[in-house]
Amino acid sequence: MILDLHSHSIASDDGRAKVENYCKWIRKKEVPIDGFVLTEHRQFDFAGDYAALARDFDLTILKASEVETEYGHVLVFGVTPALTERFDFGAIGLPLVRVIEESQHHGAIAVPCHPGRTKVGMCAHIETLGVPDGVTIVETLNGGSRGSEDESAQAMAAQLGYQGVGGSDAHIVSHIGRCATRFPAPVRSETELVEALQAGEFEALSWK
Amino acid sequence: MTIARFEDVEFGDDLPTFDPDTGMENVRRFAKAAQMMAARFTDHEGAKKEGLAGAMVPGVMSQAILAAMIHRWAPDADLVKIDTIFRAPVMVDERHHVNGVVTDLNEDERTAEVDLTVTNDAGETRVLGTATVKLP
Repeated sequence: MILDLHSHSIASDDGRAKVENYCKWIRKKEVPIDGFVLTEHRQFDFAGDYAALARDFDLTILKASEVETEYGHVLVFGVTPALTERFDFGAIGLPLVRVIEESQHHGAIAVPCHPGRTKVGMCAHIETLGVPDGVTIVETLNGGSRGSEDESAQAMAAQLGYQGVGGSDAHIVSHIGRCATRFPAPVRSETELVEALQAGEFEALSWK
Repeated sequence: MTIARFEDVEFGDDLPTFDPDTGMENVRRFAKAAQMMAARFTDHEGAKKEGLAGAMVPGVMSQAILAAMIHRWAPDADLVKIDTIFRAPVMVDERHHVNGVVTDLNEDERTAEVDLTVTNDAGETRVLGTATVKLP
């Protein structure tokens, strides 16, 4: 089971892709993924219902969030209504450790993304803020990475013992599936995704 | 290859790619015409004094390059909307590649949505965006 764990639709302020067109693109271009996770910026898209699209295109379509902390951007998988009451998803500069702890408490998991990126990635902030507690997984392959950003992420993960996932960070249709994560068993729901990440059996992939 | 009518277009079609002239002489020519003769665009050393890695192509020039690609592909089309997101500077005197691909079609409106990118030789996306093109 291969899922692109990081994508944005028109629900994000800088997203330009309709979810249906991601589905069409994956099938038309035979993109080798079984589904994708919508990680909208600074929000959780409660309104979006993609069950019919998932059925019509035989794809897994899950929802998550990308929030902003003092260590940079962080994907939160397994978001629940109760979790969205615990901190302001729209805020800038959330305390990362609190995001991690609240996520754990509500059955979710927080994953710093594109950590090698300047300003919005975790690597640079560790130099000034120290190593945060509670991180177990980071995004080591990001479809939008430039230069040595992925290499920096992978070096940090190796040094600190983090596992790595992959995601395209697609904002336009044709970028979906450039990076993804392989799981050993099917993942059909947000709950199963959290369980699969907690199990630690996954592999980051790239087709860039 | 150029297209003339909406019926010529299919979901997933690639627009003919091209490598735009992002050399200093051409950027200076554009900057002069656009009245944007600032060092950050027209002089590598001046740009470095402003904290940049070197001179960069003006954003409006990158957008114009993307618009030009669409008109090369569909000379009789109307460019209804073009929307660009600048992820990283397009550096002057570096080679770049402009790509477009059709990602949606509206038969009623006879429009095509096109994904647009400007990438460098390393394959890094420096500019991305979308356009809506109305076809005869």
